[in-house]
Amino acid sequence: MLDTVREIETPEGVSLRLRAAGAFGRAQAWLLDTLLRAVVFFVGLGIFSALGRGGVGLGLLLLFVLMWVYNVICEVWFHGQTIGKRALGLRVVNADGTPITLLPSVVRNLLRVVDALPGIYGVGLIMSIIDPSARRIGDIVAGTMVIHAEELPAGSRVPVAPALPLPLPLDQDEQAALIEFAERSSQLTPQRQEELANILYPLTGREGSAAIVQITAYANGLLGRP
Amino acid sequence: MRQEQFVALHAKEWDALRKWLEQLDRQPKAAMSAERALDFPQSYRHVCHHLSLAQARGYSREVTDRLQQIVLMGHRQLYRPPAPRWHKLAMFLVADFPRLVRQQWRYMLVALLLLYLPAVIAYALILWKPALAHSLFTTRELADFDKMYDPANGHIGRSSGTDLQMFGFYIMNNVSIAFRTFASGLLLGVGAIYVLAANGVIIGGVAGHLNAIGYGAPFWRFVVGHSGFELTAIVIAGGAGLQFGLSLLAPGRLRREVALRRAAWIGARLAMGAFAMLIAAAFIEAYWSSIAALPDLVKYGSGAGIWLLVLWWLLRGGAGGKHAA
Repeated sequence: MLDTVREIETPEGVSLRLRAAGAFGRAQAWLLDTLLRAVVFFVGLGIFSALGRGGVGLGLLLLFVLMWVYNVICEVWFHGQTIGKRALGLRVVNADGTPITLLPSVVRNLLRVVDALPGIYGVGLIMSIIDPSARRIGDIVAGTMVIHAEELPAGSRVPVAPALPLPLPLDQDEQAALIEFAERSSQLTPQRQEELANILYPLTGREGSAAIVQITAYANGLLGRP
Repeated sequence: MRQEQFVALHAKEWDALRKWLEQLDRQPKAAMSAERALDFPQSYRHVCHHLSLAQARGYSREVTDRLQQIVLMGHRQLYRPPAPRWHKLAMFLVADFPRLVRQQWRYMLVALLLLYLPAVIAYALILWKPALAHSLFTTRELADFDKMYDPANGHIGRSSGTDLQMFGFYIMNNVSIAFRTFASGLLLGVGAIYVLAANGVIIGGVAGHLNAIGYGAPFWRFVVGHSGFELTAIVIAGGAGLQFGLSLLAPGRLRREVALRRAAWIGARLAMGAFAMLIAAAFIEAYWSSIAALPDLVKYGSGAGIWLLVLWWLLRGGAGGKHAA
């Protein structure tokens, strides 16, 4: 199982899988939000400046809203997604997987002050690299995390091959191991692939590259492909 | 039961729920008024049950992933927070916030001393030796203060700018300070202590300097109106930062993470209350305090009234009554 996946047990007794979003995706979302806010601010300033000097006041109010309020409103009323997060497919949720509420959102966004030290999110970056769920300080204190909103159907990267039924029933973890091997074996050297596939000799009855083909076929069968 | 039979038996129910959940994301109103909305909790729990069954029986990932996704979508809807209500906001401002301030009175007292002691000391020192003002402020800043509070000025407290411009400036500036004071409390409270003491020295210094050069009257006439909300809000934000920092330093019987989370929730509510107070202060400061033409009685009378209102609100708000905790 990937180490960024968190299993949350719901009151119904089934477990949800939350995939924590890493620092890079979150930085991209933040950059997008920041650019967008800068554009809105300057367009707004252009419009308000037609109103004379009072317009500067409106510009400052706009800046205040963009700096402090924008994130909270987006997170609480738009399913935990700012525009940048939406574009990157990220979502803020409470640590138990429920949608984020007002107070945690206020806490995590106020604490940007600390995470943003010194200058451009140094503390936040280091914390999200250290933390197993890539949370920055604001997330840890508020009890929230940023996850990938769209659950990738597991096994979508298994190479397509004619499917074979399993010769004997396997339990959930064993099935997952087969599928993940099929998904990721292309990242390994052929020698290592064969070495791992050979472990399953009792299941496949084959050795070497034939075993790899056999496992891929089983994985296709498990995924319900023809 | 074999997997194919299981899917054939229940697929219709799964697809119906999934379709309704997708509709709920796109057109919430139409989806909620559909008859299916009534069945949602029940059919969601059915699907949860099916997922458990599928996992226990070792059905393939094709089925479990399909169910997992429906459960994820359903969980998000079933456990979403209730919509915020205006009534709750009003209750917070009238009762919960003052109660919270009183509950945290120790931190508020310390924050109060951290703001007012440096202010009084700076004020007294500059009255005693007016030249000391030059070691606190640059000559340019002093010239600005002199211009802002010149008794001949039609608008007190600003050298130029309209009411609206100053309102925007006060909101941006003061609320940002309050928020930073709270958040920087995380640095073991050092941030909050620094902001409080530094603001105290500056406020006391300006007051001392203007009194020393004989511009005291316009200064007090300006600040008396909004200071009740503004200074108290800064004290509250500082107190919120102090308790936040102290929870990290001395978590008591809790684990640090838990203590920190608890303190952050208290602090965030205090910061939101301070935010509301600073909006009130900015209104008064921009539209009322700056009017120079009013007689002293109106200025000082309204200022005293506002101070009494703030103190009464914070000391008595939410005490007694049927909602009392």
